[in-house]
Amino acid sequence: MTEAVSRNRQSYWRRILGDTLVRWGARLGLVWVALLALVAVFAPFLASSIPLLVSQQGEISSPVLNYLTPLDVVLLCLFFTLLILWFLPMGLGKKLLILLGIGLLCGLAAMKWIEPPRLIIYEQYRVAESAGAYDWVLKAPIPWSPTDYLRDFGDTGLERPLDDEQRAHWFGTEQNGADVLSRMIHASRIALGIGFVATGIAMLLGVIIGGLMGYFSGVVDMIGMRLVEIFEAVPTLFLLLTFVAFFGRSLYIMMVIIGITSWPGYARYVRAEFLRLRKQDFVQAAVASGLPLGSILFRHMLPNGMGPVLVAASFGVASAILAEATLSFLGLGLVGDPSWGEMLNQAVQSSSFNWWMAAFPGGAIFMTVFAYNLIGEALRDAIDPYLGRAS
Amino acid sequence: MLLTVKDLRTYLRTGQRLVKAVDGISFKLDRGKTFCLVGESGSGKSITALSIIDLLPSSISEHPSGEIVLQSTQGGLQNLMALDEAAMEDIRGARISMIFQEPMTSLNPVFTIGEQILESLHLHYPDLSDEEAWQRALQVLRDVQLSDPETRIHAYPHQLSGGQRQRVMIAMAMACEPDLLIADEPTTALDVTVQKEILRLMKDLQERTGMGILFITHDFGVVSQIADQVGVMKQGRLVEVGDVQQIIRRPEHPYTQSLIAALPENLSKPSVVSYQEHSATVANDNEPLIRLEQLQIHFPIRKGLLRRQVDSVRAVDGIDLEIPQGQILAVVGESGSGKTTLGRGILRLVEPTGGRVLFNETDITGLSPSKLRHYRRNMQVIFQDPLSSLNPRMSIESIMTEPMKVHGIGNSREERIERASDLLRQVQLAEDSLWRYPHEFSGGQRQRICIARALCLEPSFIVCDEITSALDVSVQAEILQMLLELRDQRNLTLLFITHNIGVVEYISDETAVMYQGRIIEHGRTSQIINEPNSPYTQELISAVPRIPRLD
Repeated sequence: MTEAVSRNRQSYWRRILGDTLVRWGARLGLVWVALLALVAVFAPFLASSIPLLVSQQGEISSPVLNYLTPLDVVLLCLFFTLLILWFLPMGLGKKLLILLGIGLLCGLAAMKWIEPPRLIIYEQYRVAESAGAYDWVLKAPIPWSPTDYLRDFGDTGLERPLDDEQRAHWFGTEQNGADVLSRMIHASRIALGIGFVATGIAMLLGVIIGGLMGYFSGVVDMIGMRLVEIFEAVPTLFLLLTFVAFFGRSLYIMMVIIGITSWPGYARYVRAEFLRLRKQDFVQAAVASGLPLGSILFRHMLPNGMGPVLVAASFGVASAILAEATLSFLGLGLVGDPSWGEMLNQAVQSSSFNWWMAAFPGGAIFMTVFAYNLIGEALRDAIDPYLGRAS
Repeated sequence: MLLTVKDLRTYLRTGQRLVKAVDGISFKLDRGKTFCLVGESGSGKSITALSIIDLLPSSISEHPSGEIVLQSTQGGLQNLMALDEAAMEDIRGARISMIFQEPMTSLNPVFTIGEQILESLHLHYPDLSDEEAWQRALQVLRDVQLSDPETRIHAYPHQLSGGQRQRVMIAMAMACEPDLLIADEPTTALDVTVQKEILRLMKDLQERTGMGILFITHDFGVVSQIADQVGVMKQGRLVEVGDVQQIIRRPEHPYTQSLIAALPENLSKPSVVSYQEHSATVANDNEPLIRLEQLQIHFPIRKGLLRRQVDSVRAVDGIDLEIPQGQILAVVGESGSGKTTLGRGILRLVEPTGGRVLFNETDITGLSPSKLRHYRRNMQVIFQDPLSSLNPRMSIESIMTEPMKVHGIGNSREERIERASDLLRQVQLAEDSLWRYPHEFSGGQRQRICIARALCLEPSFIVCDEITSALDVSVQAEILQMLLELRDQRNLTLLFITHNIGVVEYISDETAVMYQGRIIEHGRTSQIINEPNSPYTQELISAVPRIPRLD
């Protein structure tokens, strides 16, 4: 009993985070996800046919900056804001708010002012370089863009990893001659994005609906539960197929649909937690103090009921990534932009089996889903009070 | 000598740390006698019992020293510490049995009680035929005076009341006629009237079978009723061992003295003068602060597909009550009598289904939530369980200042923090407690925080719902004394819900006795305690185990 009292003076979430990170699985999972996030943010600098820096007659310029899309800029802005906020001492809620604000501002600014050239001729820099127009060139670590089909070489097509000594393709090329690794790096954005956004939408809906159901119970609960059952009966994949057929292929539609079909799970968790919490004395005390409903629901009850939701969310991210991969594999994914599922599809469709085209994107999907499952598992163990802190 | 415990040590491992839960205790227990281990929570009483019956997982516990010698009717002298697991299994349940505090969780809900008794019989007497075992199970149920044992033997645990379940637990423990019965707080979860019956039953069984009882409790009243020998435990050590009369009347060790002095019946009121003055002002004040008129709280029982209401639970069934300003009214009653629902109904934490609650002559039952909010700051509540009544995710500072902010007390955050730390000082907590989280405090400290939180809105009326039942006696004494002081300072009116008659006697001016949703007796506390009118109150008061007053 005494050790519980003297236990380190940390807030609950810090303790949970600590307990989660003690587990090796969670560490590995987090490392993989963090790596993926880094790769996704810096994709245009990691894999691009456009040089990072060139020196032309003594004048140094960075052509890659001209080709940044608004999305690239927003991601970079968000990343650096996050980095700065991490070290600033302030509340978590405040940090989130600042991050959201900066993201929104950057988004608007980028939409207005940043217009990359529509037509990208990847060859021009290689041609200029071989013609000796530059003093020196700093290329990206993987000097191939995902949609650079190497037309200037003429002899492109399927190529094994590291087959050609002049043109190093670490993971080989696909049948059009584009670099597989480069495509995978750019596709990591879609994988992460769809996971986070879809799960975010689902969580938001689930928490609000589930919270209201749990707090008010009675009639609200009954109607809510019927709604949950209706949405649980909707098959996500077929709905996605239908939408793709009607409205064309769009990443955003996919995110929204995965989001609004998977909230019932979260709503159930939150409802159960709120039903339990409502009877707790501290909630009764908050009611007795005359606190407004918003504060009771979101300040007093929600943080105590978020544990199971977060666990479900980490598994939800994994399943959203899988859903997107499935859809792309079926050939209903995005046009133009590469995605891991679509790359798998390419691997099957070519006449001969080319292992590198299946193994690398497949491995990436596996690793990412596995990482999220590891994190979810560790989070669940850390939150479960019965598994005990004794060990 | 039935049981001899010599220099028993039990160390528990939690993570890297070693806790000396039992730190070298020695005592002896004779056949047919009862040895009581008394102590506050965390003193190592239960761990001692679990060590004797060897129920502690060896992965977290170790015994650096100790000898537990049992003189059983079969097998002669045995040192239990030296036995292997197989031999211990023969002793456990057969020679030594144990009953626990919570009868609901100690019985398996998916088996009938008959099946559970038969299982242990078949285990320890393999050559017993089914029919003989059945007869024997019936006989032990008869022995524990369970009414109608022929039908009850087929009952599932949830079909029995708490007292009946504890009887079944005792029957299971007695089935193999053990030499030693270990009872770990067997009556703590029970009402006093049931407790009285269970204690008498244990005495009867002991006289008949001559078994020894190791009885663990924190309640000196129970000790005085059942014990022959008493051992007082503190932090894993036995500080005093002796005859029950000697321990209760002439405790020698300062710790025992302080424990006995902390009992509510031995506490001295802060000052008798102010108390009488207080009663005088109460008498002059005609306006009651709280008035209940025919208050009803019924919970509907719904059945079937259409959820039609078939019946209702009448938790509070027509109560008229007046509480004058500045008075402490105690509401006593057994579990299920509706006293907690009454307290919550007055605050409208549970919506009353009929009748009126008047606060300062304003009917608050019909107020809309927004209008009610204004009255909320005048009426506060403190709950029983200090663990669950503070939000574990919020610091004490935000727990205390948020209600102030909502009700517009204090103009700035600094002012509110200043007020909060003032209040913490008043409940005798350090000021830096403001920046800590609830899990860093002990139960008593948390209850102080709850009191400070209730006071931060400057209420005139507070419902105290069993606020000391989860606390040790010494902490209970401090909290009660503090409440009386605060009442005098702030002219508070309290509705004090409790089942502890000693606490009622100490703190309250008037007492109302509740039974099945109604108040059956209401009057001055001294009159209710000393000359109760209704038969139910008489039974309730007489069932309270009391110890003779200290001189």
